[in-house]
Amino acid sequence: MKEHLEQCMQAIVDGDSPKAAELAKASLDKGYPVLEVIEKGFARGIREVGRLWEEGELFLPELVIGAEAMKKAMEVLRPALEAGEAAEKLGRVVIGTIEGDIHDIGKTLVATMLSANGFEVTDLGADVPVKRFVDEAEKTGADWIAVSALLTTTMPGQKRVIDELASRSLRGKIRVMVGGAPCSKEWAAEIGADGYAGDAVAAVALARQKTA
Amino acid sequence: MAVILGMKPVVLEGFSVEPEQRELVKLLGERHVRVGEEDPGDAKAAKIKEAIAKALADARSLIEPKGIYEIVTGGEIEGPPGFAELERVAICICTIGMALEETVKAAIGAGRMLEGIALDAVGSAAAEAVARYMNDRIDETAAAEGLRTSCRASPGYGDWDVGGQRRLFDLLPAERIGVTLTPGAMMVPRKSVSFAVHIDRNPVRLRSENSCRNCDMDTCPYRLDDE
Repeated sequence: MKEHLEQCMQAIVDGDSPKAAELAKASLDKGYPVLEVIEKGFARGIREVGRLWEEGELFLPELVIGAEAMKKAMEVLRPALEAGEAAEKLGRVVIGTIEGDIHDIGKTLVATMLSANGFEVTDLGADVPVKRFVDEAEKTGADWIAVSALLTTTMPGQKRVIDELASRSLRGKIRVMVGGAPCSKEWAAEIGADGYAGDAVAAVALARQKTA
Repeated sequence: MAVILGMKPVVLEGFSVEPEQRELVKLLGERHVRVGEEDPGDAKAAKIKEAIAKALADARSLIEPKGIYEIVTGGEIEGPPGFAELERVAICICTIGMALEETVKAAIGAGRMLEGIALDAVGSAAAEAVARYMNDRIDETAAAEGLRTSCRASPGYGDWDVGGQRRLFDLLPAERIGVTLTPGAMMVPRKSVSFAVHIDRNPVRLRSENSCRNCDMDTCPYRLDDE
């Protein structure tokens, strides 16, 4: 089994979707414990991809195909997870780009990486009104709202999401992370966000670290 | 055409551009972009190279370059520091159009992320190439009068506030090339570039030049050593 887990990890690092799906199916056929296959195999792979990306070893296309391979493996494993063992619930995230801003790709990457790492993600797309973030977070029981803003002119919308949470007395319950080119740790602190993530890998680390 | 103040805006269209290799390298990684110079390497590298090659091929029919420019005084634009006193500044807005952007959106929406980001990067590289094309035409008209141009400055980059975008759109009839501004000062289509260059015998040097060399992020994957 150890060798199998290594292969699972490698399939993600290699961004090999067919291989990842094939290994996931083989895991089920052989009756390996699904959680262990995910945690010690595939998830280890996506964390390795994240580490290499952070170190500048990998570029965006490699990060993306790693996440795509992870998604394929999870599609195969998910029914078994839901049927049997309790999946590790990392948390739920509602994500979107703030109203007035139609930049989409960076946010979609964050959503993909969060999902590949085991978070349940609701992606609201771009140009999302403040109220919609909070409505969806309430509806889905989200732990996090992730708000992207790519322009200095749309950044104030991130603060309005936090204000909206406060007005509904949800501030302590639902955390907010902000990201996007003009944002920074300082900006996150200034508006009272729970964290700043500069890229998709940082977003995963932040969500993991702070979701209890 | 003389580089004169008060000239009518010049619209250029129907030209073609090659996406800028340097921009592609920056966005997608050198080892994926330098096609044909080496063995494609492992299956992963081959898959990425194939996606980039497809994006470059698809982009040919999706890119519709257009640009508009005119000459104003530095005082007319809300430019970066130091621009207000300049006598002659060319301002330009240019675009690759909407078609590529819509294809990217469809690919990403359908979960084809690699295809989407590769085509998006090609779009960015093409928008840069359109800006360079427009810049070159401005340079030629300036050179005809023995003048030179500064590097490009763009709203939202370096020390030029993105709010300056609005003023450029007040001055240039960008609707003639199909570019509009959202209430948040964002250009639609997204793959559009707006810029200003100083025209003079001795054009100003901008603070934003050599941006990589002046940056402290030594391990940044996008760092360009020769910039």
